[in-house]
Amino acid sequence: MASKANKPELIVKGRRIDGRDFNELRPIKIEAGILKNADGSAYVEWGNNKILAAVYGPKEAMPKHIADPAKAIIKCRYAMAPFSSLAEHGRTGPNRRAIEISKVTKEVFENVVILSEFPNSEIDVFIEVLQGDGGTRAAGITAASVALANAGIFMRDLVYAVSAGRIEDKIVLDFNMIEDNYSEADMPMAIAPRNNEVLLLQMDGGLDRDQLKQAIGMVLEAGKEISRLQRQALKEDYSRVEESARGNK
Amino acid sequence: MREIVVPGDVVAERPMRMHNSYIYGNRTYAATVGLFDKEHNEIIPLEGGWVPHIEDAVIGIVKNVKNSVYEVDLSYFKRSILIGSKFETHPMKRGDVIEASIKDIEDRRTIILYRERVLRGGTMIEVKASKVPRIIGKNSTMINQIAEFTRTSITVGRNGVIWVRGEDVELATEAILKVEREAHVAGLTERIKMMLEERTKTGE
Repeated sequence: MASKANKPELIVKGRRIDGRDFNELRPIKIEAGILKNADGSAYVEWGNNKILAAVYGPKEAMPKHIADPAKAIIKCRYAMAPFSSLAEHGRTGPNRRAIEISKVTKEVFENVVILSEFPNSEIDVFIEVLQGDGGTRAAGITAASVALANAGIFMRDLVYAVSAGRIEDKIVLDFNMIEDNYSEADMPMAIAPRNNEVLLLQMDGGLDRDQLKQAIGMVLEAGKEISRLQRQALKEDYSRVEESARGNK
Repeated sequence: MREIVVPGDVVAERPMRMHNSYIYGNRTYAATVGLFDKEHNEIIPLEGGWVPHIEDAVIGIVKNVKNSVYEVDLSYFKRSILIGSKFETHPMKRGDVIEASIKDIEDRRTIILYRERVLRGGTMIEVKASKVPRIIGKNSTMINQIAEFTRTSITVGRNGVIWVRGEDVELATEAILKVEREAHVAGLTERIKMMLEERTKTGE
């Protein structure tokens, strides 16, 4: 259990436990369109996190009474695989934490998908954490957003998410599992880069006003890099086909 | 010049009405992954399902017949029906493949078809609905070319169902699937032409 008694030293000589700088992201790799059966999919490797996202739809809303003749309904399922982390995830089915994350993720996408384009239908978003190492909800939202775009669903923006927080008096970006467990504050944020609209902001612990400002600044700065990788992942899928087509000429 | 855009990309610095885009503030943004054509100011989607519009030509299978109301399977989640005339001499049967147009979408729930035509024999191919415009081509150039070389008759439905009948159905299918796969690559008509020329030559 994480407690003050066994807290490791998280910052040594101005570096973090995994050697990163305070405002440094873990290495991120994003791939789009890797599942053939899904309408859209994405795979994200974010440090040690390995996350798969799949999107199905728009399809018939089930059960039928939930269908809305004015807009589409989004369903979201976040789940950690039983083998995903050192903590116990032995039982199948969503637990309390997964239900919460599914709900906040759903609300992120309800504000960014153009729902009125798909009346009476349902869009299913699945986020499966294969390996978790802190910040999975942020990485999951980043992956799901690429998967939604890959499915050709009308969206206002490509959302990215990343967490920032506080270790003692230092503001730090993108926590890993150990930092997450022993930090003083952890704040995941999801943002639409077009106008920096905040779609998700949760916080564990506490930040004062200046620290919050600094944390948000760090998130926005890191977001540029994440956004770039998301865009690149979506475009790469096509340039690969283009290259092979030109090769066959 | 065409470039790939993703949701949230600015396509114009002023408000502009365009398919697959939306206006926010004084700018127009792309709403889907697509090819943005700067000269014609349009976004051609690369992904996504079919959204039914009135007058879309579609292909489907008759799935149920009840009092001259035909229920048609368009491989789409909404129910679609075709109301037959009272004085039909040759009523359609369950399993018939038909081409029809959309007359109306009732309550955004039920698609009403009309101007039906029964397609006999042939093969059905299912492709991504977003690639249909490319398969048809500008002024139907692409589809006419494939039909001519393979000596087939091809009918394309906006819902992504294609019906082929004739001599070399196999080659026609291959060509259509190639177009689907490489829809975003420039100069595709030429390449398909070369492929068809080559393949029809060796066949003789």
